[in-house]
Amino acid sequence: MTSSIPAKATGRPARASAPRFPARRRLLATATAGLLALGAAVVAQSAAHAGSSPSEGIVCDTAVNNTFTLGTRTGSVSTPDGNSIYSWGFADEGAGHGFQLPGPTLCVTSGDVVTVVLHNTLTEPVSIVFHGQSGVTANGSPAQPQFDAQHALTSLVQAAAPPDADAGVKVGSMTYSFTAGSPGTYLYASGTDVNKQVQMGLFGALVVRPKDHPHQATNAGTSATFNPDHEYLFVLSEIDPDIHLAVERGETPDWSSYQPRYFMINGRSMPDTLAPNNATYLPGQPYGAMVHIQPYSATNSAPALIRYLNAGTENYPFHPHGSDERIVNIDGHPTLGPTGQDLSYNKFDLNVQPGQSLDATMIWTDVDQWNPSTNPIPTKLPAITDQLLVGTDTWFSESPYLGVKGNVPTYITDNNQCGEYYHIAHSHALQQATNYGATFGGMMTLYRIDPPGGCK
Amino acid sequence: MDTSSIDRRRLLLGALGAGSLAAVSRVLLPQDARGAVAAADPVGTGPQKAIALAGTDGWVSMPANAPADPPFFPDPLAPSPFNTYVFGFRDVSGLSDTDLAAQRGKAQISAPILVFDEEDEITLSLYNLGLSQRPDLFDGHTMHWHGFTNAIPLFDGVPELSLSVPVGRRFDYFYKPHDAGTYMYHCHFEDVEHVQMGMTGMVWVRPKQNRTGVNGYPVGTKYAYNDGDGSTRYDREFGIILTELWSAAHYRDAHIQVSDWTDFDASFWLMNGRAYPDTLAPNGANSVARPDGGLQYRPDLDTASGRLQYQPNSSHITCVPGERVLVRLANLGFQDHSLTCDEIDLTVVAEDASLLRNGDVTNYQTTNTVNIGPGESRDLIFTAPAVGDYFLYDRRYSFQNNGGGAGYGGMMTQISVRPSLPAQTQPNL
Repeated sequence: MTSSIPAKATGRPARASAPRFPARRRLLATATAGLLALGAAVVAQSAAHAGSSPSEGIVCDTAVNNTFTLGTRTGSVSTPDGNSIYSWGFADEGAGHGFQLPGPTLCVTSGDVVTVVLHNTLTEPVSIVFHGQSGVTANGSPAQPQFDAQHALTSLVQAAAPPDADAGVKVGSMTYSFTAGSPGTYLYASGTDVNKQVQMGLFGALVVRPKDHPHQATNAGTSATFNPDHEYLFVLSEIDPDIHLAVERGETPDWSSYQPRYFMINGRSMPDTLAPNNATYLPGQPYGAMVHIQPYSATNSAPALIRYLNAGTENYPFHPHGSDERIVNIDGHPTLGPTGQDLSYNKFDLNVQPGQSLDATMIWTDVDQWNPSTNPIPTKLPAITDQLLVGTDTWFSESPYLGVKGNVPTYITDNNQCGEYYHIAHSHALQQATNYGATFGGMMTLYRIDPPGGCK
Repeated sequence: MDTSSIDRRRLLLGALGAGSLAAVSRVLLPQDARGAVAAADPVGTGPQKAIALAGTDGWVSMPANAPADPPFFPDPLAPSPFNTYVFGFRDVSGLSDTDLAAQRGKAQISAPILVFDEEDEITLSLYNLGLSQRPDLFDGHTMHWHGFTNAIPLFDGVPELSLSVPVGRRFDYFYKPHDAGTYMYHCHFEDVEHVQMGMTGMVWVRPKQNRTGVNGYPVGTKYAYNDGDGSTRYDREFGIILTELWSAAHYRDAHIQVSDWTDFDASFWLMNGRAYPDTLAPNGANSVARPDGGLQYRPDLDTASGRLQYQPNSSHITCVPGERVLVRLANLGFQDHSLTCDEIDLTVVAEDASLLRNGDVTNYQTTNTVNIGPGESRDLIFTAPAVGDYFLYDRRYSFQNNGGGAGYGGMMTQISVRPSLPAQTQPNL
């Protein structure tokens, strides 16, 4: 395809004159308006509904007999600043899906025998490593590192060869199999030319659920029970557009100048992370990342579960505002002591290491119960002219009170529906919360807290 | 642990009775999360505290012997004896309007340490004094209390989700902290820039246990957390906030240029806004003790600190053998850091303002190296060893320099153990 990547930026225009992604935000606002039009119908569907794809929360691919067919694909990743980046990805051929970033989320149950048939359409060998799974076989033999005649490592595991037109082979193939291990969240990624192939997008998430207890995060009993209507997966990654451009042009990437410019949650950057799953304007990036809950209460006591997975090369110190998260699982290992003590712990910043997964439960509690009649805030909301609302959009309701909506100036796109609260959650390595250096971007999403009973 | 202690879980479950406690003793309930409803005192029942901060810009000094990095460092616009442009907060509590306005252009780094008690009712007034070096910018400022649990957006300081304070205006934030610990604060307006430029500081919340005593320790003993058994008691207290400073970005802000933040490339690595050996220099010379336990610095009146005038927070730790020392760490830089103390065991009792305990199960970690990522906090307690000097430093040696110069620099400070010292009257003294 013809490259549409603009020349590398040497600097940005002065902030006062720089548009803040107006086209993207108008489109996002349209998507939001669509959500508004649906009203109460916009309800997160249970992840347990196999076959249907919820508009929010985790999207699970399941397969008959846990046999998945993943094919390599090329495609483009859209970034909020208008870039379009040539990428590679795994596609769930069994589900009839095409290119996507990240790869399909494969959901299985602990103890299941899982088979993944890899179809390679690229011009180089491709493989899959299932991080954290043991006893993996490749075409029936133990998955093992591969070396060439000079004993140089060529792949972490057996690879599918590229297509060979001379031999009449249109698609290379390799079949991996393993018994799904401890419940948790795991990375699968190419084990061949890993620097390049993982950067290009050959990675995805494997979710292993406890047998008989799919709504627990671990086998550690009910302490890790979560609300299945509020289960979220955050696959965290980064993109260096210069590497992608070199690969697109068939050039050798210069790894010594590796410099990620885009930082993704589920293959999207803020504000695209807010778009629903399968947003039509992000055809190759099907997974959203907005968390959507109501306050903790006696009748809403099961927490949300957020599965963090780092597919990149740097630590991602993820900071949700307004709530702590309790880490119950690390790399599929419950946070238990040697005699089964519950050692789960609260964090206001989850520093996810490369290749690591953290499963965390999350609630938000309306502790202070602000209410305009019975418990008004002790300070004064300034007049709008003294508020310096930022940019062309706001998620502010112009009220301190949950479920109370004030008026937003007409020149600002109002993303608030009924006085719900929004909190930001983002990498606190703050250059990772930008799109090629532009603020309010990157590895960032929102946690939406509706009033009890939800927006009507 | 001592069976006479009252742990948080039992307090929370008391209303359910012992039977319920037995039935659920192995179940972690979500309300054990910090900020649980049952633990909170309602608004209107706590002590009133008022503090005022101002956001503005100013000039500070990185170590004067750091090699030049033209044109970025030293900044040619910097008035003597400074070399680097910053944004920052100042504590302007109690200032007259005239004095308040005069603080424009006199930012400090790191920001004032804010110290509160659990259940204080805090009105924090944030003034935006504007940027004296950059009057062309109309940047707002906000206050984000990083880690404050169960926040509401209006008081969480994210301008896209609430509001920001325009130049020349003020907004009153309100906080009622229900959970002790080590937190931090920063401006969230164009956060990548305002944080890098220096609008970062620490917030400490003292536990209720300080007022009640526990486990036989008398009232007046100081604790980091409501530990129920005295395990977080300490004699001296020090706080260190970690940040990095990228000279080129600071220069560009002073010179009407923009930075691509994904090119971030640190030049200096700071503890409390200073690089070693400045980390050992004393605290600023002009300060008053606040009723809430903090120190209000007036660097604008400090004629004794020379080039460190606007960097009033020392990182030097001093103690007497046998004393228990609390070190509160916070990281608002963009990088991970591994703080090491080669000869003193450090016990990490809390991460991110959460005691490392779950119900009856304590999980303190004793170590010599504490890893802390951006946005994280740690509480360390150590027992002061024999008289001598010990270093606490970032083990990543490539960060142990100032602007790439020769010799030691960066995140390094000293733990000086002396035969005797006056009792500590204020943190970081």
